[in-house]
Amino acid sequence: MLKNKCYMTVSLLVIASFLLIVFSGAVVAQEREKLKAGFIYVGPVEDYGYSKAHDVGREHVEEVFPWLETFYVENVAPSDVESTIDQFVNNRDADVIFTTSYGHMDPTISAAEKYSDTIFFHCSGYKRADNVGTYFSGLYQTYYLSGLMAGALTETDKLGYIAAFPTPEVKRHINAFAIGIHEVNPDATLNVRWLNAWVDPSGAKEATQALIEAGADGFAYTEDSPAVLQTAEENGAFSFAHYNPMYRFAEEGTVSGQVSKWGAIYQDILYKVYYGIYTNENLKNVDYWWLLKEGAAVLQAKPGMKINPEYEDELKSATVETDYFGEMSVYDLVMKRLEQMKADRVTFDPYIGPMDDRQGIQRLKQGEWATHDELWQIQWAHPIVKGPWPGEPKE
Amino acid sequence: MEDWIVGTLSRTLAYSAPLLLATLGEIYSERSGVLNLGVEGMMILGAVSAFATAFITGNPWLGMLIAGIAGGVASLLHGFVSITLRANQVVSGLALTMLGLGLSGLFGRGFEGKPLEATISNVTVPLLKDIPYLGEILFVSQSPIVYIALALTPVMSFILFHTSVGITIRSVGENPSAADSAGINVWRVRYLCVLVGGVLAGVAGGYLSIAYRPAWTTGMTNGMGWLVIALTIFASWNPSRGLLGALLFGALMHLSFRLQPWVAPELLKMMPYGSAILALVILSIGTLKRSMGAPDALQQPYVRGEK
Amino acid sequence: MRDKLPFEIKKRQNPSGLGVITVSFLALLGAFIVASIVFWAYGANPVNAYRALFSGAFGGLYEISETVRRATPLLLIGVGLVIAFKAKFWNIGAEGQLFLGAIAASWVALFSPIPDPLLIPAMFFFGFLAGAAWGLIPAFLKSKLGINDVITTLMLNYVAINLVLYLVQGPWKGETQWGFPYTDKFPSVARLPTLGNTNVHWITLVIGVLAAVLIYFLINRTTPGFEIRVLGSSPPAGRFAGMSYVKTTLLVMFISGGMAGMAGVGEVAGIHHMLMNPAELSLGYGYTAIIVAWLARKNPLSVIVTSLFFGAIFAGGNAIKVSLGLPFQITDVFNGLILFFLIGSELLMSYKIEWRRKE
Repeated sequence: MLKNKCYMTVSLLVIASFLLIVFSGAVVAQEREKLKAGFIYVGPVEDYGYSKAHDVGREHVEEVFPWLETFYVENVAPSDVESTIDQFVNNRDADVIFTTSYGHMDPTISAAEKYSDTIFFHCSGYKRADNVGTYFSGLYQTYYLSGLMAGALTETDKLGYIAAFPTPEVKRHINAFAIGIHEVNPDATLNVRWLNAWVDPSGAKEATQALIEAGADGFAYTEDSPAVLQTAEENGAFSFAHYNPMYRFAEEGTVSGQVSKWGAIYQDILYKVYYGIYTNENLKNVDYWWLLKEGAAVLQAKPGMKINPEYEDELKSATVETDYFGEMSVYDLVMKRLEQMKADRVTFDPYIGPMDDRQGIQRLKQGEWATHDELWQIQWAHPIVKGPWPGEPKE
Repeated sequence: MEDWIVGTLSRTLAYSAPLLLATLGEIYSERSGVLNLGVEGMMILGAVSAFATAFITGNPWLGMLIAGIAGGVASLLHGFVSITLRANQVVSGLALTMLGLGLSGLFGRGFEGKPLEATISNVTVPLLKDIPYLGEILFVSQSPIVYIALALTPVMSFILFHTSVGITIRSVGENPSAADSAGINVWRVRYLCVLVGGVLAGVAGGYLSIAYRPAWTTGMTNGMGWLVIALTIFASWNPSRGLLGALLFGALMHLSFRLQPWVAPELLKMMPYGSAILALVILSIGTLKRSMGAPDALQQPYVRGEK
Repeated sequence: MRDKLPFEIKKRQNPSGLGVITVSFLALLGAFIVASIVFWAYGANPVNAYRALFSGAFGGLYEISETVRRATPLLLIGVGLVIAFKAKFWNIGAEGQLFLGAIAASWVALFSPIPDPLLIPAMFFFGFLAGAAWGLIPAFLKSKLGINDVITTLMLNYVAINLVLYLVQGPWKGETQWGFPYTDKFPSVARLPTLGNTNVHWITLVIGVLAAVLIYFLINRTTPGFEIRVLGSSPPAGRFAGMSYVKTTLLVMFISGGMAGMAGVGEVAGIHHMLMNPAELSLGYGYTAIIVAWLARKNPLSVIVTSLFFGAIFAGGNAIKVSLGLPFQITDVFNGLILFFLIGSELLMSYKIEWRRKE
């Protein structure tokens, strides 16, 4: 009886508060003007890579929030960021401005001083201010999962990674991919080739060909076109899509992929801005570092397809001996790890010690989890990584 | 080691084909006295129109045709400005590159991120593929366009150096007023040569977007057109040396990834460009110096009764 | 006559100043009209587009300052290119020379033992030298070995780009950049002062204007200038008069490369305060400056005007992108059209059209 009353009270409270929120939201929405959010991209939105992924996120929030108006500018070099922000603030009355490249960091900070009433969010940097927060979606956990699959699928024990620039993000991804491979297949190596370009389809193609000639039969990459995927499939090799679902470019060769969902972060930020949780005075410590758990990164070959069914059998028949779960199939291990990293209380991360780099220097102690800052500044290379490594630390 | 060399040479051909096609065209254009720095622009217009055509009609060869037409039309713009209006060829070429990159980007929106079903796929030639070494380099999984480019080289070389058409072209490029006195229509010859350059550059672009790597990406030629300008000079305006140069560049481009385990990637990326300069130095010191000269009337608009 | 055109083109003796301005103006108008069609095709009202372009470039003091900031590197490089073009040296390599200047300035700012008060002068000094050295390579190759200047200057751009990449990703990578391929920020004594709250690094600007004046005098009032002009218009005549082709070529490229090098100093010390990915460091200033120099009709003083014009196009083009949400390629198309119309109109200035009478 008492229990029932309790339930009643609670549910009434829930309903009441729900109504209150909806009602007040509606009132607010009627009273207030639309929230205006401006996005500044470093590349073209049609690049089918990084900037495209951000723009998909922008379209997502524009669809979700009726009170939101968005606009964007593409291909903005760092030296043009400040004047672009001027335009956004003065001519388009932007309330929130997102800048999306590391190179945009300093201009964003100085523009934020000038426009202290405007809220800024900068992606991929570390400098914050009262009205500047930071955010980033990390794909490294997903790369690790792909690594698990790659380690099981390779027949030559040679895998390839076609990398854009040697930034910490790219190095974090390469290492995570390597950690996954190594966990399943201790004999395999990961061969890295650098493009020194974010978009270079011809270079990506030749780099992939070069690694195939050298015996590699599986690939992951950081480049904004599907070139690696296509070239791998042409040569009977498999690969993992990057940033956007690219399954349709190589329906046989695509095993799975690491896909960014910036929309999840944008949705949270804009919601909180609209309801006054974030203001131009309290962002000093607001940093989003969203991963699988928050839904900012997903594992998929294409929407609705985590792993290409063509590879399911092979992954299910390959077994691996794990410390914790005993012997299990690689497919199950991928799902298990995914579950662990998506759980409310995350119980696994690829970067857990003991871990040495390829110089033999210990980077993580037994049982130690890499911190946010360590991951963000990562420079070292995993022992199975072969090939050049610009800026490799010697101590 | 053998595999290594065979593999590299096979890739060299694939990468060289667009360079070779566009270089052959630019050689004709410059031989007639018109420098066209707009190769990058014409190539990328070719790439986007080939992709669009193949995507819409499902016919990749029609795409190649349209690519040639697109490159040709673009080159005529340069021709009109630099031949008829006698404007500065360097600036007109730069303008064409800008316009080409811009227009292709505008047209191409909507084709980005779309896979192409109708591609020109690689072929393996039966019998010939069994020739030791050569078979594997030339006849296993190569694009038909590679063969077209290779076949065009001797043909275009022959026309240029051993036929009256070639004499006409060269005389227009060397001494237009003498050619004019001899009854040659200087303007027509120049327009036609510029057109050849445009069509071949367009086809080279088409190869990139529907054969080499079937997809459209903004700015996908990525500076290849500038390499073509360099190759033309490097080849001393001679088609067969153009083949040599294109192969050299293609090999270096591919090797810049192959050699990464041993040499810093940034240094490797300098290699093709640095070696081009080095090769020119060696050529100029060596005995080949005599044949190095550019067509005398290159970059000079022709005006009857002037000079 | 095989020439069946209904008109005949005849050379004008002296194109008048007014004529040049009128024709250029008409050409621009023509380009604007054609560009309107492109704007309209992409759903933007052309009138709004031009309004945005104009107000983005000249709408207020700050907008003007943004135009000037972008004109600054174009001015320095353009002035240097004028002297190279005068000598018929096709320097397409200003972009690479700019990067070398940026490298030298970064070395001075971050690693040199030069005392603080001398840092800024030293940056310009070494930046000039580095750019000049990069320019002397093709000058030497052309004048001594007869190697084509277009190819060498062009190829050296790519070498320079990868040199910058090598430095920022390897030995010069900053301690404070969280592993990103940028050098550390320059100390504040090595940053150029700016005008008020604008981004105009005025020292570079002043250097550019002074250089324009000096080079004007060099070309028109001095013996080396005379030699440059003679050798540029007719090498055999110059040689006959005992002029040294080698010496002149080296001189013009020393200046041309050096000016581009100083533009690079301005960009890293005035705008970015660090060395970075070349694609972010320069927005193709080295290539645009070719057009700037050419439009100035090889007159260093006119470069002041043409560099401002292209500074305005850069600034205004950015404004169009922002306020109308047009694809970024629209600025390329716009620039290309303007160029075609301007060079197409060239003929009308120095030639006149006479319509044929019916026979």
